Amino acid sequence: MPRQVLEVTLTADSVAADAALAASGDASAFERLYRAHVNRVHSLVRRMLDADEADDLTQDVFVRAWDKLSTFRGESAFGTWLHRLAVNVVLARRKTLGVERGRFHSGEDPLEGVSGRRETPEISMDFEEALANLPDGARQVFVLHDVEGYRHEEIAQMLGVVPGTSKSQLHHARMALRRYLDR
Amino acid sequence: MNDQWTDRLSEYVDGELANGERVALEAHLATCAPCRGAVAELRQVVARARSLEDRAPQTDLWSGVAKRIGAGQVVDIRSRRFSFNVPQLIAACIALVLLSGGGTWVALHKTSVATDTTFTSQADSTKWVPVAVWSGRTDAAIADLQEALRRNESRLDTSTVRVVRENLALIDRAIAQARTALAADSGNAYLNLHLADTMRRKLELLRRVNAIASAQS
Amino acid sequence: MLTTIAAAVLATLAPMQGETDTTIAVPAGASLSVNNFGGAIVIHTWTQNRVKVHAEHGSRGSIEASLVGTTLTIKAGSRHGSPSVVDFDITVPVEMALNLSGTYTEIEVNGSKAAITAETVDGSIDVRGGSGNVILNSIQGSVTLADATGRIEVNSINESVELSNVSGQIKAETTNGDVTLWGIKSSSVEATTINGDVEYEGTVTDAGTYTFNSHNGDIQISIPEGANMTLTVATANGDIDASFPLPFRGTREKHRYTFKLGTGSARMEAESFQGDIELRRPAEMREHQREKEKEKEKDKDHEMEQEEP
Repeated sequence: MPRQVLEVTLTADSVAADAALAASGDASAFERLYRAHVNRVHSLVRRMLDADEADDLTQDVFVRAWDKLSTFRGESAFGTWLHRLAVNVVLARRKTLGVERGRFHSGEDPLEGVSGRRETPEISMDFEEALANLPDGARQVFVLHDVEGYRHEEIAQMLGVVPGTSKSQLHHARMALRRYLDR
Repeated sequence: MNDQWTDRLSEYVDGELANGERVALEAHLATCAPCRGAVAELRQVVARARSLEDRAPQTDLWSGVAKRIGAGQVVDIRSRRFSFNVPQLIAACIALVLLSGGGTWVALHKTSVATDTTFTSQADSTKWVPVAVWSGRTDAAIADLQEALRRNESRLDTSTVRVVRENLALIDRAIAQARTALAADSGNAYLNLHLADTMRRKLELLRRVNAIASAQS
Repeated sequence: MLTTIAAAVLATLAPMQGETDTTIAVPAGASLSVNNFGGAIVIHTWTQNRVKVHAEHGSRGSIEASLVGTTLTIKAGSRHGSPSVVDFDITVPVEMALNLSGTYTEIEVNGSKAAITAETVDGSIDVRGGSGNVILNSIQGSVTLADATGRIEVNSINESVELSNVSGQIKAETTNGDVTLWGIKSSSVEATTINGDVEYEGTVTDAGTYTFNSHNGDIQISIPEGANMTLTVATANGDIDASFPLPFRGTREKHRYTFKLGTGSARMEAESFQGDIELRRPAEMREHQREKEKEKEKDKDHEMEQEEP
C-alpha cells in the first residue's frame, strides 16, 4: 500500500530548522528534507550517470547527507549543500566505474554512429533522451555546466581534465543536442 | 558548416571570448548565416537545459533510505551528540523583507514594535510545519530521559534531587511560555527556534544528571 | 617526607593526628587525578617535579595515592565502606594536567598552566589559570574561571558562571544563574542561561561567532568601536536598547532584527525571550561595572557594620 506522502510547504526557515533537527537525530525532519529535495537529486544523478543507477545512487546521497549533516554549517542554503554532496557522490561513482567510455571525441557529432544506443532510427528522441545518449564525458560536462551551472574551471577539477577540454566537450554536446530541441 | 569560428561559438554564447576575438567573430556573424543560425540554436539549447524539469523517481526511495539510517529504531540518545547550534540557524533564517534607509538610533520598545507597519514576509504568509510535528521526536527523547532519571534518582542525595527538579521546573515554565507565544504566532522563526532550543536545554540537563547519577556508586 | 611510589603500587599513607603530609616525585608530563567525595580540593602550583599533598581527614581517615604510568591518582581512603570527608591542599608542577572530581566537593585551582577538568555536584569551582582543554562542571555550585586560555567549557546548573580574562573558544552555560564574561579574547563564544542575565565584555573579531541567550534575563553586550559584525537581536517580550546607531541590514521580522556593522564579518546573536537586550560601548560597560562594584563594597561595609555588636 503506497505510503501517504507528507505534504508540507517548506520555507527557508523551516528547511534550516529541519536541518538542525535532523542533525540531532530527528528522522521525521530528515524525511521532510528528503521529500523536498529528492526530485532534484534524482534528476541530477539520472542525467549525470544513467537511469539504472539513479535510484541506488539517490539513496546513497541521502544516506551520506544524514551522516554528514553535523558538518552542515548553515552558511549556504541546505539545498545548495545537498546538491554539492550529490555531485560528489556521482563523481566518486564515476571513478569506481573506471572506464571512461567514448569520452572525448573530437570533431565528430557525438550522437552520430551511436546506433547501438538507439532502438530504431525512426523514433525521434526527446531532448532528455538525446542527453542520455551523449557519450559520458560530453554529457557530464553539459549537465554540470548548462543544467547545474558550474563553471569550466570547477568542472575541469571535478572531472580531472583541463578547462579547454571542458569547453570543447560542452560545445560538442550543445551542437549535437540542437536537433532535439523541439521534441 | 565548418569554418574557423564554428568551434568558438559556444564560448561566444557564454561571453568567454576576449574582446578582440569577440569583435572579430561578430564581424564574421554579420556575413555568415549558418553561423548566425548555429548561435541562435546554441542559445536555445542552453535555455532548454536551464528549463529542464526535475522528475520524481518512479518508486518511492524513502523506505530504503530510512532503513539505512536506522530511522524507526530506538536511537541511543546518550551516545548521540546534540549539535543544535542556534547561530547557524539564525544565520540561515534571515527574513526576506528588505528595508530601505540607513542608520538609525534604535530604542525599540515592545509597544512600538506592535504598531509598526506589517511587512509581508515570506515566513509569515507560507504555511509552517506545525510545532507538534517537529517537536515530537524531542518530546520522546525527553520522556525517555525523565524515566531514566526516576529510576536513578535514588543514587543522588535529596538536596541534589530537589535542585534538579527545581531547574527542570524552571525550564518547563520557559518551554510553556515559548509554546504559548508560538501558538499565537506559529509562523515566527525566532519563536520556533527558541522553543526548540529550550527543549534541547532540558534534554541536556536530563542527560547530564543521568550521567552523574549512574556514575555514583 | 619524600616518598617515591613505584608504578602500580597502591599506597595508603599513614595518618598522623588526622592529617597527612607527603611529597611524591612525578615524571615530566604526568597528570593528576583527584577524587574526593566530600570536602575540598585546593591546588597550588610550583615549578618542581613533585606533588606535595596535605590532607586533613580526621583521625579515622586516610588517603590513597598511586602512580600508574604517568597518572598520579589521589583519593580519600574509605574504611568500613563509607566515604570520608577530606580537605586536600595539593601543590603540583605548574604544567601538570588536572582531573578533579567529587560530589560534595569545593574545588579551587591557582596558577595552573595545564589542562583542567573539574566536576562536582554540590560545591563551587574556582579556577585561576588553565591552558588547553578547560572543562568545569558543577550542578549546585557556582563556577568561576580566570586567566585561562584554550578550549573552555564551563557549566553550572543552579548557580552563576563567571569568566574573566579568558581567551580561546568559550562555552559557558547555566540554567538558574547569570553568565558573566569579562576581559574575553575570543572568536567563538557561546553563553546561555534560562533564568539569569548574560554579560559580555570582550573582543569581537572578524569571522568570529558569538551567541548570547537567555529566557528570563537581560543581555548586556559590549560592542567595540569599529567592530565588523552582523548582529541579530531577538526578544519576544523585552526591549532592545543601544548606545550607538545600529544600521539596519535590511532584514527584520517580528521579534528579530538584524544589523550590519562595518563589513558585517563576525556573526553575533543576542536573544532573550523575556528580557532586555542592551548594546553598549566598552568604556560605558566598564564604567557601569565600576559603579556596581562600588555599590557592592558599600553593601559589604554596611553588612559588617551591622554585625558589630
